Amino acid sequence: MMLEPTEEQALLRDMVSRFLADHVPTDVAGRGSLPLADWRALGDLGVLALAVPEAAGGLGGGPGEIAIVAEAFGRAAAMGPLAECAVLCACLIADGGDQASASKWIGAITSGQAIVAYGGPGEGLGDLTVQRAGEGWILNGERRLVRHGAGAGAFIVALDDAPHLLLIEAATPGVAILPYALADGEQAALVRFDAVEVACEARLQVTPTRRRRVIAMTQLAITAEMIGLMQTLYEATVDHVRQRRQFGVAIGSFQVVQHRVARLFILLEQSRSLLLRAISADDDAFATAVTEAFAYVADAALRLAQDATQLHGGMGVTEDLLVGRGHRRLLVLSHLFGGAIAARAKLAA
Amino acid sequence: MSLALPPEALRFRDEVRAFLDEHLSADLRRGAALTSGVFAEPDIARPWQAILETRGWLVYHWPVAAGGPGWSRVQRWIFEKECAEAGAPALPGMGLKLVGPVLYSFGDDAQKADYLPRLRSGEDFWAQGFSEPGSGSDLASLRTRAVRDGDDYLVTGQKIWTTQAHHANRLFALVRTNPEAKPQAGISFLLIDMASPGVTVRPILSASGDHELNEVFLDAVRVPVANRIGEEGQGWTIAKFLLENERGGSSFGPGLVADLRRLLDATGPLKGELATRAIRLSLDARALETTELRTAIELDAGAPPTPRSLITKLVASEIRQGIDELAVDAFGPAGLQLPAERPFYGPGMPAPIGPQAAQPAAARYLNSRAWTIFGGTSEIQLTLIAKAAVGL
Ligand SMILES: Cc1cc2nc3c(=O)[nH]c(=O)nc-3n(C[C@H](O)[C@H](O)[C@H](O)COP(=O)(O)OP(=O)(O)OC[C@H]3O[C@@H](n4cnc5c(N)ncnc54)[C@H](O)[C@@H]3O)c2cc1C
Repeated sequence: MMLEPTEEQALLRDMVSRFLADHVPTDVAGRGSLPLADWRALGDLGVLALAVPEAAGGLGGGPGEIAIVAEAFGRAAAMGPLAECAVLCACLIADGGDQASASKWIGAITSGQAIVAYGGPGEGLGDLTVQRAGEGWILNGERRLVRHGAGAGAFIVALDDAPHLLLIEAATPGVAILPYALADGEQAALVRFDAVEVACEARLQVTPTRRRRVIAMTQLAITAEMIGLMQTLYEATVDHVRQRRQFGVAIGSFQVVQHRVARLFILLEQSRSLLLRAISADDDAFATAVTEAFAYVADAALRLAQDATQLHGGMGVTEDLLVGRGHRRLLVLSHLFGGAIAARAKLAA
Repeated sequence: MSLALPPEALRFRDEVRAFLDEHLSADLRRGAALTSGVFAEPDIARPWQAILETRGWLVYHWPVAAGGPGWSRVQRWIFEKECAEAGAPALPGMGLKLVGPVLYSFGDDAQKADYLPRLRSGEDFWAQGFSEPGSGSDLASLRTRAVRDGDDYLVTGQKIWTTQAHHANRLFALVRTNPEAKPQAGISFLLIDMASPGVTVRPILSASGDHELNEVFLDAVRVPVANRIGEEGQGWTIAKFLLENERGGSSFGPGLVADLRRLLDATGPLKGELATRAIRLSLDARALETTELRTAIELDAGAPPTPRSLITKLVASEIRQGIDELAVDAFGPAGLQLPAERPFYGPGMPAPIGPQAAQPAAARYLNSRAWTIFGGTSEIQLTLIAKAAVGL
C-alpha cells in the first residue's frame, strides 16, 4: 500500500503543474481551451502520449498517471481535449485501428498536431444508424455533443446498438460540423452524418472489455479533473472567507460560514478517497469503481461550486473570478457521460 | 376554513385572464420565456409596461392615493398568478416595486409630482445603489460620502452589483451624510440623475455571459438637496422599508409554479430521480404560493403583518435554483450549450441544440445562483427569521 505518488509520478505532476502555471495565468484560466501552440508543447513534453500503450508508441501510463495529469489540469482550470482525445480516441485507435490509421493519427494526437473527437451514444446525444454497403457502411444521423469537434481532424463515433466504433475523417463527404459554445467556454460541435460512406478499414476492432476499460479511463480523467478544480475552488473560498470582512470581522468567523466550508472540506476528502479507490482497483473492478467515483464526484463538485459561489457573495456570480468560471467548467464536466444521474442509475441497475 | 376564491375573486381572475389573452402578444411571451436574467430587458419590459399602464394595472400594488387601482392583497395575488401563468415579462422591480413605494410613502409633494408619473410612463428607469465593494451584507457600513455644498450634496464613492444601471437614467442611493453618527444614523437616501457629471457606469459580466450587473462610480457628483427623500439620517429607516418590499412585497410562488410547468412542457415526462425532483419542486412551489395567498387573505381581513412573509424570498430563491438545476439535468447534453450572443430571443442567436427552451438553460442555472445572494443572502435571511419569526 502506498498513498503517495511514486517518484516518477511526482515528477510528472510537477512538470505538468509547472507548465500549466506558466501558460495558464489565473486571469485566462477557465475561459476556454489552451491555444494550439501550448497543446503542442504539452505533446512535446510527452503528456499527450501518456495513456497510449507502449506498443503503439505511447508511454503506457496507467490510471494513476492519467489521474495525476487530469487533476493538474483541473487545479489550474486549464482546458483542452485531454480526456476524449488524448485518452479515449488515442487508445481506441491504438487498440483497434489498422496500420494506416494508427500511423496517421496516433503520432498526430500525441504530438498535439491533431484532434480526434468522440461522439458517443447516450440519452440526448442523437441517433445514428449504420447500414452495410458492400465492404463498408453507410452512416446516417447525428452526434450532438462532440467536445472539441469544431477543430477535429477526425471523429470516432460509437453506435447506439451495434458494437461498431468508426473512425471518420472530418473531410469525408456528408460530414457536417456545426460548432457551438459550451457553458465552460469550450467549443463543441453537433456533427451530422448524411449518407456518409465508411470504408471497411474505418472500423476499429476493439474488444468490449478493452473498450469498457478505455471509457473508464476517460471518465477517470474527468473525475480527477473535477477534483483538481474542486481543490482550487475550495482554497479560493477558504482564502475569501478569511479575508472578506463584514460587520467588522472576517466572514470566516461566523459559525454558519465555518460549517459550510467544513462541508466542502468533507466533500473534497470523500471525493479523493473514491478517486484513489478507482485508481487502485483490479482490472475487473476498475470500470465499476470509476463509475462510483464519477457518480459521487460529479454531484459533490457541483455542490462545492454552488457553495463556493454563495460564500463569495456577489463576486461569486461574476466572470471575473475563477470561482464563477470554475463553476461553469464543473457544470459541464459533471454532466458528461450522462452525469451523476446516469451513473447512479447504472449503479442501481 | 377555506382558501377557495369567492365568486367575485373568480370574476376578477377571468377579467385579468381575458386581458392577458388579448394584450400579451406572442412576441412578449416568447421574450419572457427566453429571458435568462432576473428581469426582462427594456426591449421586452417597456412595451409591456406601457400596455399595463394603459389598462391602469401597472402599479397594481400601490394604494389608491398614489395612483393604484385599490386592489386587495388577494386581487394582487390573483393578478400575479395570472401574469405568471400567461408568461408575462418580469418587469424590473427597482422602480415599480422599490423606489415607487418609497416615493409615495416618504417623498414630499414636489418629489411625488416630479417622479411618480415619469416612473409609470417608463421615461425614468431606476437602478438601486445600495451595495458597495466593502458593504454587502453589512450594508450599514457603506462609505459613499455626501458632503453638503450650498443647496447641493457632492457625492463621492462607489456602488457595485447595480442591476441594469446601464439602462438607467436615475439611481436611488444610500449615502453617508454624517460620518460621526452611529453607522445607521448617518445614512441618507438620495435620488441621483445618472446624466450628472461624475457618474461612470462600468459593466460586470456574469459567469453566464449576461450583462445585468454594473459598478457605478460617483466622483463629486452634484445632487440637489431637494433630491433627498425624508430627513438627513433617515436613509436607513427608508432602506429597511424598501428591503421589506424587495424580499416580500409580491408573491414568488405563482411564477415558480408556472416556470416549472413550462419546463416540464418543454422536456416531456421525466423519469427516475428527475421525476421525483420535479414533484418535490412542484410541492415546494405550491406550498409557497399557498403561503402567500394565506398571508394575503389574513392581511385583507385586517390582521397585522406576519413575520411569515420573511420566509418567501428565501424559499423562492431555493425553488428557483432547484428548477434551473433540474432544467440543465433534464435537457441533458442540450442543457450545456451557452452561446455568447444575447438576447436569447434575438435575431442573432445561433440555432439551438435540441429544443429552443434548452438554449438558455445553462445561463439560467448560473444566473439563478444569485437568488440566494441578492436582496439579503440566505444566511442573513435565516438569522432574521430566527430572530423575528421564531423569536430566538
Ligand atoms: C445578481 C445580483 C444583483 C444585485 N443587484 C443589486 C442592486 O441592483 N443594487 C444593489 O445595491 N445591490 C445589488 N446586489 C448586491 C447584493 O445585495 C449583495 O451581493 C448582497 O447583499 C451580499 O453582499 P456581498 O455580495 O458583499 O456578500 P458578503 O456580504 O460579503 O457575503 C459573503 C458571504 O458571507 C456570508 N455572510 C456575510 N455576513 C454574514 C453573517 N453575519 N452571518 C453569516 N454569514 C454571513 C453571506 O451570506 C455570503 O455567503 C446584487 C447582487 C447580485 C448577486
